Amino acid sequence: MKRKLAMAALALVSVLGAIPVMAAEDPLYISVISKGEQHAFWQAVRTGCEAAAEDYGVDMFYYGPPSESDIALQVEALNTEIQKAPDAIALAALSTESVMAQIQECLDGGIPIIGFDSGVPNAPEGAIYATASTDNQNAAALAAEKMMEEESFVELVKNAAADAPVVIGVLSQDATGESNVNRTTGFVNKMVELVSEYQEVSVTGHELWLAEKEGAPVVINVEIPATPEVTDITNAANALLNTKGISAIFCSNEGTVSGLLAATSSGADLEDGAAYGDLVVAGFDAGAPQKNAVRNGWFIGSVTQDPYRIGYLSIELAVKAANGEEVEDVDTGAQWYTAENIDDPDIAMLVYD
Amino acid sequence: MTEQILEMKGIHKYFPGVHALNDCHFELGAGEVHALIGENGAGKSTLMKILSGVYTKDEGLILLDGEEINIGSTLEAQHLGISIIHQEINLMQDLTVAENIYIGREFLKGFVLNQNEQDRRTNELLDSLHLSDIRANTKVSTLTVAKQQMVEIAKALSFQNTRILIMDEPTAALTESEIEDLFSFIRMLKAKRVGIVYISHRMEELKVICDRVTVMRDGQYVGTRDMADVSISEIIQMMVGRVIYTEPKTSSAVQLDAPVVLEVKNLNSRDVKNVSFQLHKGEILGLAGLMGAGRTETARLICGADPMDSGEIYIKRKKAAIRTPYDAVQEGIGYLSEDRKLFGLCLGLSVGDNIALPNLETHRRGFVIDDAKIRRTADKYIRKIGIKTPGFYTPARSLSGGNQQKVVLAKWLERDCDILIFDEPTRGIDVGAKSEIYKLMQELVKNGKSIIMISSEMPELLRMSDRIVVMCEGRATGELSIEEATQENIMELATKTMEGEMK
Amino acid sequence: MKTKKLNMQKILAPAALVILYVFFSITGRNFFGMDGLRQILQSCYYIGYMAFGVTFVIITGGIDLSLGSLMLCSALVGCCAYSAWGWPLWLALILILVIGGLFGLFNGFMVAKLKLPPFIATLGTQMITLGFGSIISKVRTMYFPSVGSVDEWFRSVFYIHGQFPTGVLWLLGAFAVGWFLLNKTRFGRYVFAIGSNEEAARLSGVKVDRYKIAVYVVCGLFVAMAGIFYGAAYTTVLPGKGNGEEVNGIAAVVIGGTSMAGGSGSIFGTLIGVLIMATLKKGLASVGLQAHWQTFFTGFVVIGAVLLDIVRNNAALKSAKKQVQ
Repeated sequence: MKRKLAMAALALVSVLGAIPVMAAEDPLYISVISKGEQHAFWQAVRTGCEAAAEDYGVDMFYYGPPSESDIALQVEALNTEIQKAPDAIALAALSTESVMAQIQECLDGGIPIIGFDSGVPNAPEGAIYATASTDNQNAAALAAEKMMEEESFVELVKNAAADAPVVIGVLSQDATGESNVNRTTGFVNKMVELVSEYQEVSVTGHELWLAEKEGAPVVINVEIPATPEVTDITNAANALLNTKGISAIFCSNEGTVSGLLAATSSGADLEDGAAYGDLVVAGFDAGAPQKNAVRNGWFIGSVTQDPYRIGYLSIELAVKAANGEEVEDVDTGAQWYTAENIDDPDIAMLVYD
Repeated sequence: MTEQILEMKGIHKYFPGVHALNDCHFELGAGEVHALIGENGAGKSTLMKILSGVYTKDEGLILLDGEEINIGSTLEAQHLGISIIHQEINLMQDLTVAENIYIGREFLKGFVLNQNEQDRRTNELLDSLHLSDIRANTKVSTLTVAKQQMVEIAKALSFQNTRILIMDEPTAALTESEIEDLFSFIRMLKAKRVGIVYISHRMEELKVICDRVTVMRDGQYVGTRDMADVSISEIIQMMVGRVIYTEPKTSSAVQLDAPVVLEVKNLNSRDVKNVSFQLHKGEILGLAGLMGAGRTETARLICGADPMDSGEIYIKRKKAAIRTPYDAVQEGIGYLSEDRKLFGLCLGLSVGDNIALPNLETHRRGFVIDDAKIRRTADKYIRKIGIKTPGFYTPARSLSGGNQQKVVLAKWLERDCDILIFDEPTRGIDVGAKSEIYKLMQELVKNGKSIIMISSEMPELLRMSDRIVVMCEGRATGELSIEEATQENIMELATKTMEGEMK
Repeated sequence: MKTKKLNMQKILAPAALVILYVFFSITGRNFFGMDGLRQILQSCYYIGYMAFGVTFVIITGGIDLSLGSLMLCSALVGCCAYSAWGWPLWLALILILVIGGLFGLFNGFMVAKLKLPPFIATLGTQMITLGFGSIISKVRTMYFPSVGSVDEWFRSVFYIHGQFPTGVLWLLGAFAVGWFLLNKTRFGRYVFAIGSNEEAARLSGVKVDRYKIAVYVVCGLFVAMAGIFYGAAYTTVLPGKGNGEEVNGIAAVVIGGTSMAGGSGSIFGTLIGVLIMATLKKGLASVGLQAHWQTFFTGFVVIGAVLLDIVRNNAALKSAKKQVQ
């Protein structure tokens, strides 16, 4: 036993010797706490972050919880990173409420926080120096506009009657995350505005967007799955597909697109002439299955953010903030991609696999 | 007489501290059914374990067809044509008959099981044994116990040259009609010139099926007789012997009018049938009988360990409702189980904690366990009844059998139980510790405790008891005062099966 | 010789903890110091309560797989009462304890009275509690009061007050209560007896069923406490989550040297086990390795601890045999 202890001590000493002497002038250390790693979207963000870290010559630590419901893990990671006294933190909070105390701590300790992607909504004044994000409302409104450019769909809306209403489904991953809420709001508001030119509209489904009108010939139905797990999203998608009069569906992110595709035999049911061939579908974000759906014409198109730019700009903002420069919010933009333009170089760069 | 196939001569076997077999003989002819009998612990199993390769002999000769053989393992025994059918069924219930018979020797075609060949061979074997109602692809669990036993025998005979079959209590789990089936099966095997060693406690059965009988006692060979020339009472006399190696009690100090502390009336359960008896203050009541006679089961009913179907228990003339061991403990009944490791002790806990287990009510201050008092109590008993242990903190696991028994006793003494049930109190305990336990029991009754003692060792019963109740097949077949009790009349009552009674 | 050996094994886990701490203090970024220590302690709050609770169950030879989901279920329902039904916070906290206790009672009843194998019974409860929380909360995410809200005292009392980690006091308090229950009360003594030899305990007049139920209730109450501290530390409670967390609780118990076969174990060991896991978690993060590395290494630690348990048992058995002979 004694010998074992001695050996452990020996091992410890050798580890000690192996620690490199810290360089006199440390590069900036920036912690990136993202919302996940499993979606292709976050991989693109990470690539953007890494590119920026390289360009600016900073040390970067990137953390993403295994799933977007792992709030506790994200809080733990943030705690640990604050402990390391970073020069700046880039944060996409899963739940602002859960990290309120940590944000306060950063504010008190003078650690600048840069929000990115969905950012840190409702954070205390002055804690978030700037946010690099897509204006989700505008981005989602784009999908509503593009839907209403489809002539057959507009015809359908025009001819809708109270006894056989046209239903427009919205599949939103949750009703808590700022980006999902904004996208749904942006889409719903734009759709109501556009349809109202022809018909009365009722909004049903989740209470957040509720605006019911008795006997309206067009109904927008917002469906929120029980949990953000793909199985529950698939269930919600099935519920929408089984709604009588369903004519269009908007999916607000990559996760819900996956759910919808899972509910439609990987999208094959959306093929012209198949069970849901007439359905007008628009997506959001990218990823291989969604790109495939767009390329095959199963979707009329999808909105994409620029995750690479989000990642890159958030590091850029963080570096500036750490150096004491003034920073302000950046809109990272959105694009509409369809079967025609998906392979154009400037679009292809935005739609990650 | 038929040709002799097996002879065992001058077999000795030593276990640490025990001379288990002392100059034992046994012989077997082809087509003979030879009964091997003796009390529990007489050495029958040891002898047969030597024959089937489980143990190796320390001295002596084994001759097969007149040639000396050495049996090093059960596999070797099987190759020599010797198979044993154990009392418990050793079949895999969820597999088919064929799978069971050829387990470990499956027929293969390359890497693939050759199911058809295996089934064909099995059915051939079953047919040759006139077991045409059992088929190769039958699932064993769907067969009756008797049929399963026959599958076991078929399995034994499936080894090419099996000629010696040892059957250990084959009828223990069978019903009357099943026994008939088994007997006609055995007769068929006889006709095939298989020699059968038949171990059983049921005298009537031996008369029906066996040709010769060999009796053993205390690891020694007593004699071999032709079944036709010997009466059951003669066999019993051979079994119990004339040698009396412990002084039996000749008279009881307990008066018949001593107050009754425990009375059971018509106890019934699955294994106990209409048992009634009384226990007087300061008395040691012996419960005699062979294994499986229902003695332990009766004790477990009294101490609430098993639920009873019907029956009444009176403690000091007052009716007691005993449904759980908790109730029994409250009534002052302490049970010292025959299997201390399974039922008596928490082996991982210390001596002190074991003694304190039923006594925590008196070893606490408010909610807090009084460890100091537990220590004092444990030390008291370590001294008083001589528990040999490094200390009260030693885990019960590391104590010897006799000292473990004393720990169990201590826990009931501390509980101040008036009625103690000792179930095989000296099993697995060496001679010295035995007499210590006897002394303790005698002191206990002198101090006004009452004891029920279950034992399979008749000398022990005769030495300790004031009165003896004998059981057989779950019934109390008789009650003997110590004055009238002898090994012979106890054995007679202990083998008084229903069948025997009817004759 | 024998007692010496046992002591050696007793200090093995604490020694491992110290070695880990020293190792990461040297290699980790800003790991060493009061803040780092505080972080380690804070990250083991809810796992600590789960582990304390399930220690009792495991010593009786049982297992509770509903730890994680029950923790979040009770927290979710309590939080729902607070924020959706407008209950005062203190009453909602009591509700959390009641729910933990009731599901513990349910587990205990199934195991002790219906004789279900604990693995199956608590697996069922795991799923029931997952669903129950979602049903009651109507699948809404719930928020405990955080910094700046009316009931800010919640966080101050249960998590951190200024720079002072109040939760540490609670954890030490829970440790003391658990230690007292297990070592100083009749209940605790019976827990060991049942785990060591249930039948012997029963024949000694111990009302085994009743105590087994009590064990699961105690576990449920500890788990409910875990729920409260989860809420204090992480504020947000999602519906339909928590399964998987039980693994952390059970792992801590096993690392602490409690035998899965029942009959032996200690709360102190569990505390060490929890601290080892927390140190590993924070330490690995401080050298830049993420959460999945932590799970990866914890797995090896668990296997190592169980191997040690087996070696220890074999040694004990051997020495016992030697003594008898």
